[in-house]
Amino acid sequence: MRRMLAALAFVLFAAAPATAQQQPGSDVAEDLPAGVAEEQITVSSTYGGSYITVFGVNPDRRGRGDIVVVLRGPTEPATVMRKRRVPDWQFPFGLWVNGDPVRFSEAPAFFAVLSNRPLREIASPESIWRYQLDPAASAQLASAVPAGGDPSAYRAALVRLRRDQGLYQWYSRPPQEGVRGGLTAYQGGLFRAVVRLPANAPIAQYHADTYLFRDGRLISRQRIPIMIARVGVERTIHDLATNVSWLYGIVTVLLALLAGWGAAVIFRRP
Amino acid sequence: MPVAVLLILLVSGAVGFVSGMVGVGGGFIMTPALLFMGIPAPVAVATGASQIAATSFSGIMTQTRRKAVDWRMGLLLSIGGVIGGSAGVALFERLLRLGQLDLIVSVLYLVLLSSVGLLMVRESYRFWRGRPPKSVSILRRPLKSIAHNLPFRLRFPRSGLYISVLPPLGIGFGIGALSAIMGIGGGFILIPAMIYLLRMPTNVVIGTSQFQVLVISSLIVVLQSVATQTVDLVLALLLMAGGVVGAQIGARVGAGIKAEYVRGILGALLVAASAKFLLDLVIPPEEVYLLGGGIG
Repeated sequence: MRRMLAALAFVLFAAAPATAQQQPGSDVAEDLPAGVAEEQITVSSTYGGSYITVFGVNPDRRGRGDIVVVLRGPTEPATVMRKRRVPDWQFPFGLWVNGDPVRFSEAPAFFAVLSNRPLREIASPESIWRYQLDPAASAQLASAVPAGGDPSAYRAALVRLRRDQGLYQWYSRPPQEGVRGGLTAYQGGLFRAVVRLPANAPIAQYHADTYLFRDGRLISRQRIPIMIARVGVERTIHDLATNVSWLYGIVTVLLALLAGWGAAVIFRRP
Repeated sequence: MPVAVLLILLVSGAVGFVSGMVGVGGGFIMTPALLFMGIPAPVAVATGASQIAATSFSGIMTQTRRKAVDWRMGLLLSIGGVIGGSAGVALFERLLRLGQLDLIVSVLYLVLLSSVGLLMVRESYRFWRGRPPKSVSILRRPLKSIAHNLPFRLRFPRSGLYISVLPPLGIGFGIGALSAIMGIGGGFILIPAMIYLLRMPTNVVIGTSQFQVLVISSLIVVLQSVATQTVDLVLALLLMAGGVVGAQIGARVGAGIKAEYVRGILGALLVAASAKFLLDLVIPPEEVYLLGGGIG
């Protein structure tokens, strides 16, 4: 019995540091007091995007350090292609066609990072990479880059294209006049972060992560789930389209026939 | 689909108006209009099919009352079309996964719009110069064509024909495949093919072609819903509402205007649209990278 206990203790002690090393930053406290204003956001048929508000308190009594808030959507595979001219030799007419695809096994479908001063001044480049405070850091390349292609150019292109769609956002100062969105720090260590969630952002489970950095090092953090879900007609249509897609098609056709029949009856010529 | 509802209603209404005035189905105007509005090609093509189904069903109801549908021929064309449409949707899905769908759609529209547009402009110009178009010869159709000599002949009482089943199957297949990839009904290709290749009498041509278009577009809506999930029900409803109402108003207005002039203007518009497709393909892009392999 004692030997068994000793063996168990040994296993526990031996295993504990190993898991700690595998989890990046598990030596970091997870006690940052934070919350979200809306734990669930509902998407109806008139949905045109929304705002997510994260608030909390800097646990440091003297208010030292900087707060960074990251709102992450689900990670999904993505493909980035590069246009090339066909024929590529000097011919007066050439067509620009899509080619050279590079696949990312995972990339965040939505990503917003907020701080009240530039992130590079708050966290070291290693920390930014380690805690994935930048969308490029969490995009995992899955396929080989074609000859003559640059992996970092593809990664940068993914980030740029998603940024242009409003899916990747950076805020490095408090909300400005006329722009709702950014991180505001108040007296007593209170902070509030507001992110604009565009209508094209994926409807899924999100996570709001808050981090406290001091002297470039992560001190404390907190993770809060936020659910974005369809409701009402929007939900019915979406469930139908994904789960019973043949029925969705038939319903669409029946509606088309109804519309055609209605038009023929209403506009029937005497 | 964050595009304004009112804008889509206006555009589909305008497209319906033009198609009603000229007497064409409108798919080959609607799909490019949706593309120019920034709706992704897969969604535009697949959703457009539902609007085509609505328009053709409305047309068939009128044609059936006039007994102007050759059901047997329509069925045969539809069988070919079902095979062609299924093959087209499979190809569509493959191209979508490869990230090449937009390119193929653009090239096909470039060819289609420029040729149809130029034909319309030429016809209109001839009319304006006082020369009757050659298509008058449709009325004096020659009695025999290749369709009369091939095997597997069948009688078509409504059309007064005794021809092989192979040409209607082949024509149906081709229209079905094009319909799936381009989001067109294909009436403007089908009707000349029925007149010149099958030698069908003109009074049953429109009703019969609308029957085939209805079957194919309905099938495509269901297949696309399952294979690519690119049919947008809300967009489809807006297109149907705008397109159907616009077409009826267009038909009334068109009755008082010389069709040849309307065709000339439409032809010029189509040529302009094809030029836009060409420029998008030829001008060096500012952003050479793009997100691919999906509908984004």
